[in-house]
Amino acid sequence: MEGVMAAESGITQLASSTAYRFVMGVDSEPTVMPQSQLDSLADPMGVLLRQGKFPLTLHDLLAEVDAAGMLPLQRSYLVSEAGQIPLAETGSLQRDLRFAITRARATNVDLLISTSAAGDPAATFLQVMGWDETAGRFNYYMRLGPTWVWAGDSYSALAPESRGQGCFDSHVNGSLVMKELKQPWLHWQSMNATILLAPDDPLRRNPLYQSLSGAEDLELTVRAGVSRWTGVRLKHAVTSDGRVTDLDRLLRQLCTTTAVNLASSVTASSTVVRSPGKPLTLPLGLWLNVDSLLDDLGLPARFVPPSVPGQLYLDSLVRYDFALVEGEFRQPGDAFFAFVVPEAAFEDIEVVNQLVRRKMISAHFAASVLMVDFPNPVFSPARVKLLAYVPAAATLDPAGGGVSQQVAEVIVQAVDSLPADSPEARFADHWRLADADWRDVFASRIQDYVNAVTLRIGTDQGFDDYVRLAESRRREFKSSRLNEFTLTLPVTNIPPDAPLLQMNEDGTISEKPAQSATEGKAYGQFSF
Amino acid sequence: MVSSRFDPPGGLTDLDETGLEQWSAFISVSVDAAIAGRPDHTNDAPRAQFYNLTKTDTAEDATSQDISWIAFPRQVKVSSVSDRQRWTRADSSRDLQDEYCEWSVTRRPDGKITRVTYTCEGPEYWQLLAQTRPDTLLELYQQHVDPAVQHGDLFDASGSYIPRNNRNSITTNGAMHLVQAANTLSAEIELVAAASIVRVIDGRELTGEQELINCGQYGAPQRNSDPHIGGVVNSIARLKADLVLRNPVGMYFGDLSTAGWDTPDGSDAKSYWTYVRGDDGHPVRAVYEVPKELEFVVGDIVIDGNPIEFGAQIADFISIKAIAVACRFGQSTAAPMTACVEDIEGLAAAFSAAQLKSRLI
Repeated sequence: MEGVMAAESGITQLASSTAYRFVMGVDSEPTVMPQSQLDSLADPMGVLLRQGKFPLTLHDLLAEVDAAGMLPLQRSYLVSEAGQIPLAETGSLQRDLRFAITRARATNVDLLISTSAAGDPAATFLQVMGWDETAGRFNYYMRLGPTWVWAGDSYSALAPESRGQGCFDSHVNGSLVMKELKQPWLHWQSMNATILLAPDDPLRRNPLYQSLSGAEDLELTVRAGVSRWTGVRLKHAVTSDGRVTDLDRLLRQLCTTTAVNLASSVTASSTVVRSPGKPLTLPLGLWLNVDSLLDDLGLPARFVPPSVPGQLYLDSLVRYDFALVEGEFRQPGDAFFAFVVPEAAFEDIEVVNQLVRRKMISAHFAASVLMVDFPNPVFSPARVKLLAYVPAAATLDPAGGGVSQQVAEVIVQAVDSLPADSPEARFADHWRLADADWRDVFASRIQDYVNAVTLRIGTDQGFDDYVRLAESRRREFKSSRLNEFTLTLPVTNIPPDAPLLQMNEDGTISEKPAQSATEGKAYGQFSF
Repeated sequence: MVSSRFDPPGGLTDLDETGLEQWSAFISVSVDAAIAGRPDHTNDAPRAQFYNLTKTDTAEDATSQDISWIAFPRQVKVSSVSDRQRWTRADSSRDLQDEYCEWSVTRRPDGKITRVTYTCEGPEYWQLLAQTRPDTLLELYQQHVDPAVQHGDLFDASGSYIPRNNRNSITTNGAMHLVQAANTLSAEIELVAAASIVRVIDGRELTGEQELINCGQYGAPQRNSDPHIGGVVNSIARLKADLVLRNPVGMYFGDLSTAGWDTPDGSDAKSYWTYVRGDDGHPVRAVYEVPKELEFVVGDIVIDGNPIEFGAQIADFISIKAIAVACRFGQSTAAPMTACVEDIEGLAAAFSAAQLKSRLI
């Protein structure tokens, strides 16, 4: 959104019914798209433009898609960071309701539209993603003034010059984005929450509103879309002779945090009570990357999700003055669903999962990296260091394991000159584990760690630590361009420049090493 | 217009005329009891915005609203730490399948899934069918569960139907209708009626699904279904409308999403999803099975890269729905309640027993 606004502010005159290109970081201004490039756009939006159709409102765009008859299945979804704030209390607050609309021929969604649910349809933002099956990538478009502009494709998100620029500030890895991807889908209309509307809100008469689907359905579409792009990307990353190109860009999604999702408790914050019989279960993504480690890599860890007595949680809201704040608006308390934290992004998780499934790296290698500093599933300076050992390209090992052995050997060779607790040494310890043992060893460590957390979380000091850890991670998220909306997360009275915190394997927390942010930037971790 | 009677769920045609009348009477009694509220609870009645469509007019401004939720049980999901763990648990017991959808998995000797059967039919209909047309009930079991099912498998020595019989109680031996204790039509009707009460507590109108179910004490707060049904119903009630569950009252399959599914031959994974009971718009029984002439089975289909190894994996993609109808928008004069529901000590148990008895046919 920021990129779009910046682009719009710089636009003076574009010709109508003319396709432009404007890839931020590459193009200094919108230029008329060469016919040869326009002819290559094979996604549904590109097809419309090639046919000389330039619908300038959502209504007209959907009408053109209907007329083309190519994507008959439509779903609409609604999101707003202010959607659960009581209408009587919003005052002048902009509620910023937005539609996400999908169009599909059958199972796979090929066109996604994002636009405001209110305001002048000819003036509000209107953005489109289209899947180009021929090229195997998404194309990104935005309406600018009287026409449409191609803003890049999935590979633009990965290219250094345009990475993090324009629409790729949120589509970090060239795929779909739904930050609040998991239940309870904070901010989205879903089977867990209905966005508040006044009885006479004109939106109620909008057919897109009347036919809304829940975010639980959009989650499936987004996951499938991320997987679709990841699959094609990885397929194209391996040459016919087994050479893996862009290996560093792929393993960046194993070693660093290129993006995050926002997870929360499934409990509405207003319903948390002081009764000891009703503890609050915190999101698993706060503790570790369960999706990669337990689901995809199959670590047989068994534990009960840690929960906190409601009283400790409620006391923390007062102690740290939690509130939703935008301009003059202030609503004391947490977000609508309790305890929001950044967690490992599905787009990173899926790359790792498919790298393993396609035997480009081994499960043991992936786990050996992820178990370095595993109590910090996001923003880990330790794992970032391992990326320095990854070459830009490598050849798949005929003996199996993909590129695992080559990369691991380089890391292991570096260990001699490094401290015993260095990330490299920890990786080497993991890598030396026998194939028959590593899953059980890692699972045991995870269980010990969760047991330590479970013991501490019920204590005043322990839970206070975790509240401050969560706030620290939220501050790291807020420093990224993914943080587009002020009301996405609550604010607290913890100073913005307070030391960043990290979790330790014994369940305690400590300050992060001072150099971590710099190192992160060096590898693109915080550059989105 | 006042409806002449309540029809069977999904427009099912198993009942004779007597059965149809009894079914309508049963739903009508259940609705009336729900309108009256629970006398063993305070702040639970009147439920002035919930009405019986066979006794009260449904006005011309009536609109329908689907209320849908995911079939995978939320209580299992939030207490599990991995997908494999939750799928294993949900596939282990019908008692855990509490989102008005239960299933049974059929496997080959090598463990691969060949067929999964899902049902959202409430048990009340089958109780009535057993009383009025027991032979039809047996035929339905033979048609949908196993041709070898015998009368003695379903009825006890006194001729009473056994809802949780051997062919309808576990997750591998057939699923004819819902048996999980909370998965009943009566429960659905009661919670819709209870949720129709608008509540203003300490000057604040309750709007959140969890705070509403906690305050109104309807259904189970930990499920996907009950808080959501209640939340949507209450949002309609806040528009000062009257509302009902649309005739035919029931729970229905909403859809199966196959986003991210891949078949070995590239065919459409959704084409193997078939509704086998219920009419258009009101399916109550579904089967996921690959035709035998094809050279693969359900267990060869992958979802997000993972082969289908559990019926619960598919349940992640199934939506169940109830359908509400609202009318007389802006006209209700019912005053919001300013307190939450509370049990009246000592009466709850006695009332529950009496209410249950009154609803059995």
